Amino acid sequence: MSGPIRVLVAKPGLDGHDRGALVVAQGLRDAGMEVVYTGLRQSAEQIVRAALDEDVDCIGLSSLSGAHMALFPAVLDELRREGGDDILVVGGGVIPPEDAQELRKMGLAAVFTPGSPIRDMAEFIQSNVRRLSRPPATPPLAIDHVGIAVENISDALVFYERQLGCQVESREDIPAQKVRVALLRVGEAHIELLEPLGDDSPVAKFLRARGPGMHHLAYLVDDVAAWLARAKADGLRVLDDEPRPGAGRRLVGFVHPKSASGVLTEYCQAVDDH
Amino acid sequence: MDSEIAGTKPLTERKPEYRTASGIVVDRVYGPAPDGGPTDADRLGEPGAYPFARGIQATMYRGKLWTMRQYAGFGSARQTNERFHFLLSQGQTGLSTAFDLPTQIGYDADHSLARGEVGRVGVSISSLRDMEQLFDGIPLDRVTTSMTINAPAAVLLAMYMVTGEKQGVPPEKLAGTIQNDILKEYVARGTYIFPPQPSMRLITDVISYCAKHLPRFNTISISGYHMREAGSTAVQEVAFTLANARAYVDAVLGAGLDVDAFAPRLSFFFNAHNDFFEEAAKFRAARRMWARMMRDEYGAADPRSWQMRFHTQTGGSTLTAQQPDNNVVRVTLQALAAVLGGTQSLHTNARDEALGLPSEEAARIALRTQQIIAHESGAANTVDPLGGSYYVEALTDEIERQALAYMEQIEQMGGAVAAIEQGFMQREIQRAAYETQLAIEQGQQIVVGVNAYTLEDEAAQSVLRVGGDELEQAAQTGLQELRAGRVAQRVAASLQALSAAAAGEANLMPVIVDAVRAYCTLGEICDALRAVFGEYRPGHF
Repeated sequence: MSGPIRVLVAKPGLDGHDRGALVVAQGLRDAGMEVVYTGLRQSAEQIVRAALDEDVDCIGLSSLSGAHMALFPAVLDELRREGGDDILVVGGGVIPPEDAQELRKMGLAAVFTPGSPIRDMAEFIQSNVRRLSRPPATPPLAIDHVGIAVENISDALVFYERQLGCQVESREDIPAQKVRVALLRVGEAHIELLEPLGDDSPVAKFLRARGPGMHHLAYLVDDVAAWLARAKADGLRVLDDEPRPGAGRRLVGFVHPKSASGVLTEYCQAVDDH
Repeated sequence: MDSEIAGTKPLTERKPEYRTASGIVVDRVYGPAPDGGPTDADRLGEPGAYPFARGIQATMYRGKLWTMRQYAGFGSARQTNERFHFLLSQGQTGLSTAFDLPTQIGYDADHSLARGEVGRVGVSISSLRDMEQLFDGIPLDRVTTSMTINAPAAVLLAMYMVTGEKQGVPPEKLAGTIQNDILKEYVARGTYIFPPQPSMRLITDVISYCAKHLPRFNTISISGYHMREAGSTAVQEVAFTLANARAYVDAVLGAGLDVDAFAPRLSFFFNAHNDFFEEAAKFRAARRMWARMMRDEYGAADPRSWQMRFHTQTGGSTLTAQQPDNNVVRVTLQALAAVLGGTQSLHTNARDEALGLPSEEAARIALRTQQIIAHESGAANTVDPLGGSYYVEALTDEIERQALAYMEQIEQMGGAVAAIEQGFMQREIQRAAYETQLAIEQGQQIVVGVNAYTLEDEAAQSVLRVGGDELEQAAQTGLQELRAGRVAQRVAASLQALSAAAAGEANLMPVIVDAVRAYCTLGEICDALRAVFGEYRPGHF
């Protein structure tokens, strides 16, 4: 899916105070989103129906009457029943902190109380909507390799060669990434040991922050450029706009851990030999 | 000083331009009006005399302090009755009832749409029996009661009247106010039921009925308050309120009443926000505009028809959830502006209202704020202390000028009802609300504790919790018992008579009173009217 983020601003229950809902709707529009406002006195069923009909990415619920603990969960339940639970749901109003905490446990992504800037709401929605396209026609073909950050490849090989009995298939320096690489085959996949070349290497930074350990996971795909384009269209944070050459005669591109369940994720494809 | 006169040191100011909260440009300093302009005799007059810019009574608070009337209501009728007794014991001088949303929209507490809302923002009233409990032990000939009720105002007024009867107080001795202002519900507050035309008929029916039977009751409280809360400027608040007032006056005149037969019982309700001098000026401007309109346009002869009597509430939307104790200071300034503007009654908000319903302690401080202004500040010692201030008089004139221009625009659209149907007021208010939000987010407008002088870690505040499943259960059981204990034939006959009357043209109040006496519920009565009148469905603007 591409195009602007779509938001349904909804007033559940009988509350008629819609200054906040209207101001937020206008503010999100000015932030580049498409916003539909339901009007007052909407039931959970009406709100979920509108959200699905309008194909929104996010529902913003507003209630200032104190009935949020009855009304907001009803919308979340109805959304689950109707299979719309990939829609991000946020809420706002005069909502005490204990209630906000409880609502977040129930599945409300965030609660914005009086004084919240619209800017914060827009940023939250932008970075949290789950705007995923349909699954790709072909999923990744294989785990290509697992990248392991090490201080020194020779020291690390004691474990990989002596303990596991793996063979180094190739070694290579990639000056553009300031990294030295050793590839070891494990069945169809590889272990990729990464040693920094210089203190300003990204791997050096990784080691300083987290110490040695798993650095990234690489999937073999049919077309890296297309995979990066899909990721960007879905609002994922990508580190490479275009594929670039990587170790082992591959074209590679990375997706930020924040957009990939905490794992730095690489898409790679083999380069033709001619 | 000498160097400034000599021009060697330029005058520097913090900002290139100064404006009031409503956007009126503020000059560096004000002086006497230029020669040939309006004289003080024209624009001010004497206190207690036309055009009442200085106040509606000659003695103002030297004669009688304003009524301290704190809006209260939550949970069941019993719970609110206890709060009423508490407030009266603390020196409050009038009652003001908040109803929950199901009551305001004409649903019984056991209606499916009432789920989650029963007793939240006010007291839940489904029948005469609840009303009897609400005023248990409170002699209705000794208090004045204000009721914030609009779409079903006729029904709640009938319940109040019958409750009085049962206490032995005849209708002519009942005093108080019903809000009964449906137009601003379409604009801002949202508790409408019926479309505009039948709603206007209900209102004129109430006004005509009260003129005969409840002569001490304010039949309507034409409200700018909620439009201001929705984001309007002070100028829009005055303009839209008076435009709505004109629509009501026209409607009642159309029903055949003489203007002086009902105009003295029309009352008003305004907001008091933070821009201190603009707010004080706003009240003075509104009062003068009303006097001119009623005397010069409508030809009212009774001076009481020219007098704008109004209630004021401090501005809920100005309160912050951050550093809530600061709200006590905001409320004090707002309340003082209302007193200097000559209000007849006042509600001061509690400091914790951006967090939830007021705690008892916060409610007490809010009332004490009024008592300190009344008894310690000296503001009540003379009439119109700001009168003659160059700045305040200039603001008063400018608010009147700008508000009249708005009213003229509304007239050209066909009056307030047409302007509302076209979404004009709604759009104007929404635009002003959004501009305010942007000004705050961009730091052009400082809100202390929110976008400046913030605290990293604020202590969590405890809030009053009301409503909930138990209350809804109890209300359901109560309604089942009530319905089982009634004379079914009498109920059915009353509702039938109501339907027939609604389809005709006679005044609806007598049949509503009869239905209330038969313990028909609010929901049953409103359903009968819905079947005839239909329901309002707003367009989106």
